[in-house]
Amino acid sequence: MASSSTNKFVLKSNDDVSFEVTEAVAREFQVIAHIIDDDCAKKAIPLSNVTGEILSKMIEYGKKHIEEAPVDEEDEEGKKKLQIWDEEFMKQFNMEIVFQLILASNYLNNKGLLDLTCCTVADHIKDMTPDEVRTLFNVKNDYTTEEEEEIRKENSWAFE
Amino acid sequence: MASSAVTNGQESPAATEPNSNPSLPEDLVISCLACVSRLHYPSLSLVSKTFRSLLASPVLYQTRSLLNHIESCLYVCLQYPSDPIPRWFTLCNRNLSSKKKKKKKSYHALAPISFTNAAPLEWSDLVAVDHRLYAICEAATSSYVSFLDCTSHTWLQAPSLRLAHTGRIFDEKMYLPGSCEKLESLNCVEMFDIKTQTWKPIPPEKRKFKPGDMEGKIVLKTNSGRKGFSLKPKEMTSEWTGVERDSVCLIEDIFYSYTSSGDFQWSYCKEAYEQRKLEGLEGLPEFPPYSSVTLVDYGGKMVVFWDKYLPSSWFREKMIWCAVISFEKRGSDVIWGNVEWFDAVLKVPKSYKFMSAIAATV
Repeated sequence: MASSSTNKFVLKSNDDVSFEVTEAVAREFQVIAHIIDDDCAKKAIPLSNVTGEILSKMIEYGKKHIEEAPVDEEDEEGKKKLQIWDEEFMKQFNMEIVFQLILASNYLNNKGLLDLTCCTVADHIKDMTPDEVRTLFNVKNDYTTEEEEEIRKENSWAFE
Repeated sequence: MASSAVTNGQESPAATEPNSNPSLPEDLVISCLACVSRLHYPSLSLVSKTFRSLLASPVLYQTRSLLNHIESCLYVCLQYPSDPIPRWFTLCNRNLSSKKKKKKKSYHALAPISFTNAAPLEWSDLVAVDHRLYAICEAATSSYVSFLDCTSHTWLQAPSLRLAHTGRIFDEKMYLPGSCEKLESLNCVEMFDIKTQTWKPIPPEKRKFKPGDMEGKIVLKTNSGRKGFSLKPKEMTSEWTGVERDSVCLIEDIFYSYTSSGDFQWSYCKEAYEQRKLEGLEGLPEFPPYSSVTLVDYGGKMVVFWDKYLPSSWFREKMIWCAVISFEKRGSDVIWGNVEWFDAVLKVPKSYKFMSAIAATV
């Protein structure tokens, strides 16, 4: 088997955009690593749940984390550098893209990116009103009118 | 097709486009919520019933511990006049609209907790071990220990004690010397293992008290019955405990106190006689002389509660104020207190009683 830095694979998004990546980058996504291990990766690997736009961002993240991986557990400087890059990386996205990245990194199983994207959402919602959070997550307020009245009374600290 | 996804994403800031976000499945919503500080949970539970139940679910707390997202969470118990049932609160952040923020409305608040079942009415000591708060009864008749699971806000009971006259719990273990026991001869001692939630007798060879023989802590009671004094036998260090309103607290190996003359002081636990002034504290307002001041260890920082009459209520109400202070050691003799924030957190009837404040780690 060729070394993982020279061995290449093609990842294909659900909107037919193809990306050629090294094996190391492909293996950043566990689902793809399994496909490679099962030797099912002769041709392009189709990823039915990811658009080209999202996939390109995920590959960018994966590449960076391969290239700039901290030397070892003690490499605090390396970790810090990567963390700063992560923060900058996330700043370019609006919440819709962040949500898509969450779904895609969950689907392709990249824990680092999943945690990063979830924490970006967390950071975003912490100062939102309940209404804003409902809108963001597409959730309905399922409290009944009476319950809501009760809650408003109980939680006057939040509304005052 | 590729282009449609691109345009969709890049041209629309999320705030202006309400329904463009894909809906996340529950486990991913939990992953997001697990990254949020507990200070925001009370306000997030107003979003929907589903959110409220997710925020109290064991899965959420498992995810938090997997992410190593553990934080101190402050609980306060108050008694209101003519209400025998103590009220419980937790420190939280409010979500304020930008208009209110401009008006400098306070950002922190004590939010009332509604437990899923009834809280114990009587206890003499409150002790935090991880995410549990043990409410320990001094009364000889009591043979159980109630504890609050701070994740689900449910009161549960630790298995009945077989021997104990008095209960104390600490660290991983709780030792229960009988109330008439002398420290040197702990004849009837049981140990409560927090992890397995079981009581075990102490093996006879360990009953004789020798420093270093036992793990955990032993709590001794002072004569006044108000303040507890606990001893870590292994290291032979000691600390204060107790539920009574108190202007003293121990954080790591340092005692902090608030004196009647309005100063904050500190001393090393081993040389408690040598008091030094706590420097810094810039921006912290002076407390009124009548104010009752409570200090609490808040994961290495210190929370200070004090109260003040509210003139607007014709002095029928008081406002409880809260400050968080972090410490900076500047040499062995100087500790600098940085005021992280202070806020008016709760309006109370003037003759309320401050029962207890304690931080659990959740």
